[in-house]
Amino acid sequence: MATVKVLDPISRIEGHLKIEVSIDTVRGLQQVVDARATGTLFRGFETILQGRSPLDAPDITQRICGVCPVSHGMAAVVTLDRAAGIAVPENGRILRNLVLAANFIQSHILHFYHLAALDYVDGPNQAPWQPSWKTDKRVSGAAANALVGNYVAALAMRRKAHEMGALFGGRLPHPPTYRAGGITATPRPERIDAYRAYLNELIPFIQNVYLNDVNTVASVYSDYFRIGKGHGNLLAYGVFDLDSTGEEKLLNRGRWVNGRRDVLRVDVGSITEQVRYSWYDDRTANLNPASGVTTPQYPKRGAYSWLKSPRYQSIPYEVGPLARMWVNGDYSNGISVLDRHAARALECLKVAEAAMGWLDEIVPDAPVIAPYEVPDSASAYGLTEAARGALGHWLNIRNGRIENYQVITPTCWNASPRDGNGRRGPLEQALVGTPIKNQAEPIEVLRVIHSFDPCLSCAVHVMRPKKEAQVFTVAMGSGPAACRP
Amino acid sequence: MQVSRRQFLSLLGASSAAVVAGLPLKSFALPAGAMKVIWLQGAGCTGCSVSFLNRIAPTAPHSVDEVLLDIVELSFHTTVMAAAGDQAVSAAEAVYAQGGYLLVVEGGVPTAFGGATCWAWTRNGVDVTFKDVVTRYASKAAGIVCVGNCSSFGGIPAAPPNPTGVKSVRAATGKKTINIPGCPAHPDWLIWVIAQTLAGANIALDVLGRPIELYGTTVHDQCWRNGMEHATEFGQDNLCLLGLGCKGPETYAPCPVSMWNGSANWCVDANAPCIGCTEPTFPIGRPVSVPAGGGDDEDDDHEDEDDDERRNER
Ligand code: SF4
Ligand code: SF4
Repeated sequence: MATVKVLDPISRIEGHLKIEVSIDTVRGLQQVVDARATGTLFRGFETILQGRSPLDAPDITQRICGVCPVSHGMAAVVTLDRAAGIAVPENGRILRNLVLAANFIQSHILHFYHLAALDYVDGPNQAPWQPSWKTDKRVSGAAANALVGNYVAALAMRRKAHEMGALFGGRLPHPPTYRAGGITATPRPERIDAYRAYLNELIPFIQNVYLNDVNTVASVYSDYFRIGKGHGNLLAYGVFDLDSTGEEKLLNRGRWVNGRRDVLRVDVGSITEQVRYSWYDDRTANLNPASGVTTPQYPKRGAYSWLKSPRYQSIPYEVGPLARMWVNGDYSNGISVLDRHAARALECLKVAEAAMGWLDEIVPDAPVIAPYEVPDSASAYGLTEAARGALGHWLNIRNGRIENYQVITPTCWNASPRDGNGRRGPLEQALVGTPIKNQAEPIEVLRVIHSFDPCLSCAVHVMRPKKEAQVFTVAMGSGPAACRP
Repeated sequence: MQVSRRQFLSLLGASSAAVVAGLPLKSFALPAGAMKVIWLQGAGCTGCSVSFLNRIAPTAPHSVDEVLLDIVELSFHTTVMAAAGDQAVSAAEAVYAQGGYLLVVEGGVPTAFGGATCWAWTRNGVDVTFKDVVTRYASKAAGIVCVGNCSSFGGIPAAPPNPTGVKSVRAATGKKTINIPGCPAHPDWLIWVIAQTLAGANIALDVLGRPIELYGTTVHDQCWRNGMEHATEFGQDNLCLLGLGCKGPETYAPCPVSMWNGSANWCVDANAPCIGCTEPTFPIGRPVSVPAGGGDDEDDDHEDEDDDERRNER
């Protein structure tokens, strides 16, 4: 008989998550045989946005998440730019990228050291590092001392990454400089120099310390290259536009289906959200976010999460650094707990090195923002990436006001509950088959969860949009038809 | 592996001085003598926690690791603590049972759906709402500190139509709170309040529960751009942003002095108008950002009265 174990709260993530696992012995191995992920916070952000000026969207949507606010700011301004057909000045594009890059770097460092590492090494002998589970902590001795020491060094590094981003973001988290049409900050020479100086500290840290520590963990936990694969489907919207058309990105858009050979294109119209197991009205199932509706219904029979289930052609996809690096041909070792950590660390380096190059592309004294007028009516979407995966905003403007705003966050993809076909969400699926040494301390479950870097504040949805919300078909406007394999 | 606190510090060469901004603190030898802190997160975004990690100052505690190692015993904080599930809840419950802890609350308190839009944890198989936990934990706290606009005033989750019935901690618990609004709150403001509390100082508060020492003056009155020519479009350096909708004149906060991210920058110095993130009106009934050349637009004027009402309600 399987034992059901409830883990709530899941700590060392952003936001509120409850995980329920069934543990049983199959072929002599005690393991997870089923899992349910429950998003336990709902704020109704998109309802708050209705009726407001579209210009409020960047500032308000950033507050969806304090770990990835810059990505929400980016998604919102891109959506607004597209709604008005505005071309953002080159400097505006570059400075937006630089603030976002800084936040990617801080988020990846924070994730490995401060959210994930304590699954592998025991921390100092006091709160908040104790109490802790002692099961299967294999990093020991000098290696453990070094890793815990780097935990503190990494606190300073992630802080510096935020200072770097604030140079053009104004402050972090929640940078106030992201605006429709560009950015408000100017590339003053002393700030470009300061940004470069921060990168000169961060890049060696990523290369020599962060990557090294991921290796240390990988060398003693090599079994985790075979744990936590999940469905094996990967999706990336792409991020860091390299030119004003947005067609070429540092990390391009693409999709990978388990067992197939080629990277496939992404058709935004194929994304729908299902609600069979979510606390929302069943009549709102299967809608594309462009016409999405969210009507909370609590309690509801069979439902167990405030997260909806986004699906692509009805199939669950994992999003995140591994998906991005994979569809861009930068990583192909495998899909597992450790592959997620490795791809994240390598991406951190790739982004930092690219940012160094962008500093040289800044044109002194050229404009950073184009004048912006809110269109009377328009429909648009903006796709980007948060550190933890694909992020999309969808907007309808009517009479110059927000009529409908929909957000699909990365953690909605990853930590979603089962869909209408009964298929588990990616995190749920990845948990199945995870071996468990000690039922009382299922640390293995935390390792799988943390590898996704979940960010649950993103359990947000619209409620009661206007009845006449229009359905429109979205064609893929930009992005490569087929990415590199 | 277990390292003792001393070994841990020597590993890093970290200082353990316990003086905050010239304010003498008692000697806090952890784990025995330190103030226990329970940090609860409700309807918020974790931005205040991330901001807290950004602490950097010329005086101790210089950075967040010193705060955690030398100043307070952070018994419960789900974003950073090692423990999960029952072990984490038991850690909080043990401190609660003793009483006398400092309760830090981040995020507002949802009251719609019986509080079911925000759960704190599962205990003995029962889901416990954040509302219940905050109310219970507030009853035995030595002090309650609301970090950020959401716990102080409701913040963005409480903006109209307030879909989940979010209340401030004060309104939800009826207890006196020290409010450190800001979206997010600045780490120095929080650490200043913690230091004063530990030193047993009496913190003078304004009618909104904000420390007067921190929030006694408007952003505008401290702003470097006060008196400069007015900007007429975005993206210009060294001009006053009043014409672009800057809320500095009606916003009480020390940003021009404390600046942000280790003095790397602050809103106005990045040419971004103050959006009033320390005020109870944020972001209610008016745009947080406005088109160039405009003030609040006409449509929103009639909502000003609502603002006042909401302000009083909270
Ligand atoms: S920029 Fe804002 S805060 Fe500064 S002087 Fe002008 S109106 Fe006042
Ligand atoms: S300047 Fe205004 S918007 Fe910026 S942090 Fe300070 S109070 Fe908030």
